[in-house]
Amino acid sequence: MGGPVVDVRGLRKSFGRFRALDGLDLRVEAGHVHGFLGPNGAGKSTTIRVLLGLLRADGGTVRLLGGDPWRDVVALHRRLAYVPGDVSLWPGMTGGEAIDLLGALRGGLDERRRAEMVERFELDPTKRGRQYSKGNRQKVALVAALASDVELLVLDEPTSGLDPLMENVFQEVLAEARSRGTTVLLSSHALAEVETLADRISIVRDGRVVRSGTLADLRGQTRTTIHATLTRPLPVPAPAVLRDVHVDGARITAHVETPRIGEALAVLTVHGIRSLTVAPPSLESLFLRLYGDDGTPAR
Amino acid sequence: MSTAAASLTGTRPLLRVALRHEGRLLAPWVLVVTLLSASSVVVYPFVFPDLAARRALAGAVEANPALGLVFGPAFDLTTVDGFNAWRTLALGGFFVALGAVLSVTRTTRGQEDSGQAELLASGVMGRSARLLTGVAVALVGSLAAGVVAGVVTGLCGGAWEASLLLGATYTASGWMFAAVAAVTAQLGSDARTANALAVGTLGTLFLARGFCVSLDAPVWTVRANPLGWMLETRPASGDHWAPLLPAVAFTVVVVTVGFALQARRDVGQGAIAQRPGPARGRVRGPLLLALRLNRAPILTWAVAFHLLGLVFGYFTTSITDLVAGSTGVQQVLASGATTPEQLTGAVVRTLLSLVGIIAAVPGIQIVLRVRGEELEGRVEPLLAGALPRARYYASHVAVALTVVTGYLVGAGVVVGLMAARADLTVGLVDVVEQTLATVPAVWTVVAVAVAVVGARPVVSLAAWGALVASFLLTLLGPTLGLDDLVLGISPFWHVPDTTAPSPDRSGLGWLALVTAVLVAVGFVGFRRRDLAR
Repeated sequence: MGGPVVDVRGLRKSFGRFRALDGLDLRVEAGHVHGFLGPNGAGKSTTIRVLLGLLRADGGTVRLLGGDPWRDVVALHRRLAYVPGDVSLWPGMTGGEAIDLLGALRGGLDERRRAEMVERFELDPTKRGRQYSKGNRQKVALVAALASDVELLVLDEPTSGLDPLMENVFQEVLAEARSRGTTVLLSSHALAEVETLADRISIVRDGRVVRSGTLADLRGQTRTTIHATLTRPLPVPAPAVLRDVHVDGARITAHVETPRIGEALAVLTVHGIRSLTVAPPSLESLFLRLYGDDGTPAR
Repeated sequence: MSTAAASLTGTRPLLRVALRHEGRLLAPWVLVVTLLSASSVVVYPFVFPDLAARRALAGAVEANPALGLVFGPAFDLTTVDGFNAWRTLALGGFFVALGAVLSVTRTTRGQEDSGQAELLASGVMGRSARLLTGVAVALVGSLAAGVVAGVVTGLCGGAWEASLLLGATYTASGWMFAAVAAVTAQLGSDARTANALAVGTLGTLFLARGFCVSLDAPVWTVRANPLGWMLETRPASGDHWAPLLPAVAFTVVVVTVGFALQARRDVGQGAIAQRPGPARGRVRGPLLLALRLNRAPILTWAVAFHLLGLVFGYFTTSITDLVAGSTGVQQVLASGATTPEQLTGAVVRTLLSLVGIIAAVPGIQIVLRVRGEELEGRVEPLLAGALPRARYYASHVAVALTVVTGYLVGAGVVVGLMAARADLTVGLVDVVEQTLATVPAVWTVVAVAVAVVGARPVVSLAAWGALVASFLLTLLGPTLGLDDLVLGISPFWHVPDTTAPSPDRSGLGWLALVTAVLVAVGFVGFRRRDLAR
């Protein structure tokens, strides 16, 4: 196949005077699960809707599976499946009928997998659209998307209504899809989910990508948190390797730049360590730092 | 606090918000009836300056009983107010009633569909507060329509008592149907069904009134019909206020029924429980989907058009009697200005145009459904499949055009069969031929909706504007002596009279051309525009 599955450069899109996307770059490699993160209204869904040819780009270049998403709609859509964040079903149609309709429009479903997905997601396909809860509507869309054999899955906050058990099932199913070689663009707010599944992550804010890379890359740019109980107190001021030191009797909390953990531990050892936790920077702390109150991404 | 008062807790703040929000949506209805009523007072003296012209108008109206189906009887066309009462009593009441129905449904069942009701019901709010609010807004809106229309008409030169009474009939019509909608909102399990039930009732009673009045049916048939009470007020030819009392009583009783029903049902549920459906689907393509989505209205309208065909067919068979009984018409015939054949042909043409205009309603509904589905976010997952936009749109447009053609031809055949049996100057072939000639005009009206939804969906309502304009121009334009250029805006003006010795069919070509252009605009627009979320 070769080349990235999604290649977006300098994408711009405005709605009236509101600039939704302002020079967004996004690259998703084949076979990767790509996490797409950002606060509400950052432009995630707009990007996805441009990728699906539902919106027309104002500027920049967009390539999807080697084609133009606006022009080559039909050819491209045969090769991808999409789960919207807010699934709306036809009120009088059953979930089963909706799955078959969506599958048929994509060029057919894998019958065996359809049955398996209905089973694993514990979906009752005989209920009418208006009787489903949010989570169950989402399951209908997930079954329709995951039961088809496609190269690319575009998932827009697919688990926002699912219970923890179903979220687990979703993660398993997605891992299986990845092992088959399916590329996944996963927009999500469930940071733990992205942390477990994603090979690479892009963080979008105010219509542009502010960070992109593997989780390790992103972690490298941030600090590790250390909690320790010491037998002897730290000198004041504390050694420079420890940042934001907070002392509470014998217990201290401090941040350390991830590459300098060894150095920090050496400093602490001198003061006698009775207990120690070293927490790797979670995506959450990264996320919080990038979207802190100051409004500018930390450099 | 008593239970009755408790069930109304929270009405006041809800009402304030609802009045502000609904006020904007009700304002157009107030405007339409005000313009309708005031315009006749302003225009009449210019178009019909002397008694001779007014007598001629009365003769023309009498000669075309099809007009009576819509407008009811013309009691006195020689005064401004009598003319206004004939022209606007039935229509004005119909518009206000329609506005009231849509408003009540929107603020009650519509809220339940969208989930707003649940949010509201979880607040400090009595069980009946939402229904009370919905009904109250519609009552206030109807009152506003009546008062504004009456006062403006009076200011424009109408007699005060007749104008205000006319306005009062609009209000009374609005009130009665706000009450009907309060009941249907409890019966239907979603807003669409609730609206269909209420508007269906309105349409049936409206048509029944016109039918009974035009055919001189026994008086009780009119008196049994709530809309018939409005005729009994006879603005400008008697000014009776008393028939408005039963209308108020009707409103109170039916609203009470609505509240009783509402107290017994679960929020978000209708009278009929949902059963499990099939686990597998047979709908695999956009065409079947378009049919499936519109299945209920397509079937309902099919029944409605067969009934409409029967009503109009029966009506056609009585043309000879109606015309023979009119002295005005006899004079026109005696003068040799027209022949009985021409007269019958004109009536049939008007009737079929009327059927065509009504047939455009489901057509426009089906096209507007495309926009509704889009706003609900249900088009997005479909177009994320391997489905070209044009094919998706074409499926809906094809269903709309096919269905309206079927309805019109179906009703036309029924009318034709009845006319053929009644030994008229027109036979089955003539009526069917005239029906087929009407089809392109209906397509043009539907094509306006196609263009608007495709290219400028923000102004989707303009689709209804085209329908209302065609209706008013077709039925009222000729009697108002409007210029041919203005009349030509209505596609139905271009429908040839196929019973004429040498009918001019060039109009059909123009209609086909305009239709094609509108449809093309719609498709190009739908292909190029952003899809709404």
